[in-house]
Amino acid sequence: MMRNLPAAALLVAALAIPLVFGGNGYIMGLMVSGLIVAGVALAWALLGNLGGMVSFGHAAFFGVGAYTSAILSAKAGLPVPLSLLAGALGAALCSLVMLPALRLSGPYFALAILAYAHIFKILATELSSITGGSAGFQRFPTLPTIAGIDFSSRTGSYALLVVMVALCALVYRAVKRSHVGTALRAMAESEDATRVVGVNATLLKSWMLLLSAFITGLFGAMNAHIINFLEPDYAFSGNWSVLPIIAAIFGGYRTILGPVAGAVLIYLFDQIIAKELLPVGHQILLGLLLAGMILVAPNGLFGLFQTRRKGAPHAAA
Amino acid sequence: MIRRTFLLSTLLATSLAVAAPALAEEIAIGAHMPLTGSLARSGQAFNEGMQVAIKVFNESQSKHKIKVTVIDDESQPAKAVTAVEKLNSDGAAAIIGGYGSNIVGPASDTSNRLGKVYITGGAVSDELVARGNTHFFRINNNAGYQRGVEGLMQELKPNGISIVASTREAPALLAKGLEESLTKLGFKVTLHPFDPAITDFKPIINKVKLQDKSEIIFMSAYENDYVGIIRAAKVLKPQVKAIVGAWSLATPKMYSDFPDLMQNVIGTTFLPFPVEVKDEEGKKFAAVYKEMFGKEIEYASTLAFVETMVLSEALARAADAGTLKSGGLLAEMKKTDRPSPLGRITFNAVGDNPNFALSMGQHRDGKIPLVSPAASATGKIAYPALPW
Repeated sequence: MMRNLPAAALLVAALAIPLVFGGNGYIMGLMVSGLIVAGVALAWALLGNLGGMVSFGHAAFFGVGAYTSAILSAKAGLPVPLSLLAGALGAALCSLVMLPALRLSGPYFALAILAYAHIFKILATELSSITGGSAGFQRFPTLPTIAGIDFSSRTGSYALLVVMVALCALVYRAVKRSHVGTALRAMAESEDATRVVGVNATLLKSWMLLLSAFITGLFGAMNAHIINFLEPDYAFSGNWSVLPIIAAIFGGYRTILGPVAGAVLIYLFDQIIAKELLPVGHQILLGLLLAGMILVAPNGLFGLFQTRRKGAPHAAA
Repeated sequence: MIRRTFLLSTLLATSLAVAAPALAEEIAIGAHMPLTGSLARSGQAFNEGMQVAIKVFNESQSKHKIKVTVIDDESQPAKAVTAVEKLNSDGAAAIIGGYGSNIVGPASDTSNRLGKVYITGGAVSDELVARGNTHFFRINNNAGYQRGVEGLMQELKPNGISIVASTREAPALLAKGLEESLTKLGFKVTLHPFDPAITDFKPIINKVKLQDKSEIIFMSAYENDYVGIIRAAKVLKPQVKAIVGAWSLATPKMYSDFPDLMQNVIGTTFLPFPVEVKDEEGKKFAAVYKEMFGKEIEYASTLAFVETMVLSEALARAADAGTLKSGGLLAEMKKTDRPSPLGRITFNAVGDNPNFALSMGQHRDGKIPLVSPAASATGKIAYPALPW
């Protein structure tokens, strides 16, 4: 019962938000942006937790997903739900060219992925006949109305994103609990040892990279159809690599729900509180908050809850 | 006793009513400006011009008081969209837009979706008026800049022009338009598009020097690009006779920030510096601007002043007619027809100002005389003349 408390609390909050703030476009807009970051943070944490790889280049998957979906829906006339899926697949495909980087580990892998992200940004700029180049790409469809639900409205986008984040969290959970998850966790402890017992470490890491890229591309695609605007600087912005890392560390990157809650909380804190207190340079407050969180709870917000829950029976005794 | 208290109360109430000035109706509007990020230099100037316009308008009459809330969009499109949503949630009657077509585009789309009038003086892309947005208005456009540069080239008659252009939407559009029109006018034109991410312009300047051998370098870009291009030219010293640019170049701020790079550089503007304003509104603007910020008015702040005055007057007219809360502002904006320090302001069916035209100013020892067209010139052009 207690184990599912954080998930239940998040579910209640997710349902309550549109009831309380449904009429407030600004708050709903912030929630939508926060959930986009949450989806990417979840994908980043999956790669780090299960694949044992730290990425500084998730902006590549985000941008490729966004451009693939926008271009296919605008120029090939693909319905938006299918183009979203194509965006996610496009990001997964682009991760294939990163497979050689799996031979690297630690900071070398992180920097190699960062370089790939920059290469994709240059491609988006130079392939101007397809992407619109630096001038950007504006005329593509918004999220559609399906079964009477207008997904392009703030509340509709919010509902779609909540469902997508929840589905991705369930996939993450399923992988983590499977035999593959066990092998991956063992690999994180000692890759050589797992190889000795017959685990194909490279193949498993490749699958995690593909899955992480797929999820990131999906959220990149959804963001493109929500903002309805793309340019290489925005789609491949370093923010899409950095914000999810901050969110995952803040919320607790070892947990599944930590990155999700972390993303929404830090985004709301930055835009509602920090920007109000310090209209120019508010990112400083975000940095201070993160530093404070690392000092107080090195395992993040959800890590702190878990520690307290484990400590509670001892305290009671 | 009761009668005495009643009399005293009546007397007090009457004297208070006489003494108190009529309370002005407060109208809240919102603005998003790039106060930080890559476009901050222009964003600050826009913000200052807007603040002066609010003060001038509020002091010019007592019926309405305009109050503006400004949000820093950090030179990012997504932050500008969020800013518009916040301003709308806070009850802003209209939105004053920021700077840069790539930012104004999505922000004004959001404003249009929310049914809010959006006005800008910082976005010139033709795409913005081709979207069919009913609530979008702007006071400047690409055509005005193009006319100013074409006029200068016809006066100077260079044997070749190298256009160094950012591939961002607005600069690319201006560069393409100029390439076509100047070629039609018989000039030899070579276009050098560049990625906005690049900071080293020496390879492009080398092409201008060794291949083009043009007499004029025209820069269609933004402030940081101008600095990089001129710096590279100063190192490689191509045999050109003048360096010319588009928006946000012929400004006192550019000279004070980069005095070693700006001497003799020519850019689009409509005001000389020190300012010589002939119309009453311009004089008032210059005086209040000096009082508030201790400096002379300039190009970007004047654009912001005019757009804010246009919007404020339309808001007041709609409030007077009692239609402000029922969508009357849109109709009042469309009725706009007024002179301004930029010339006549009217809006056509797509919200564009067809009267916008610019002169060319040249940096000369901290001053910026207008040097083209001849009809509005306040000084003689220095040509050939370079920053080095």
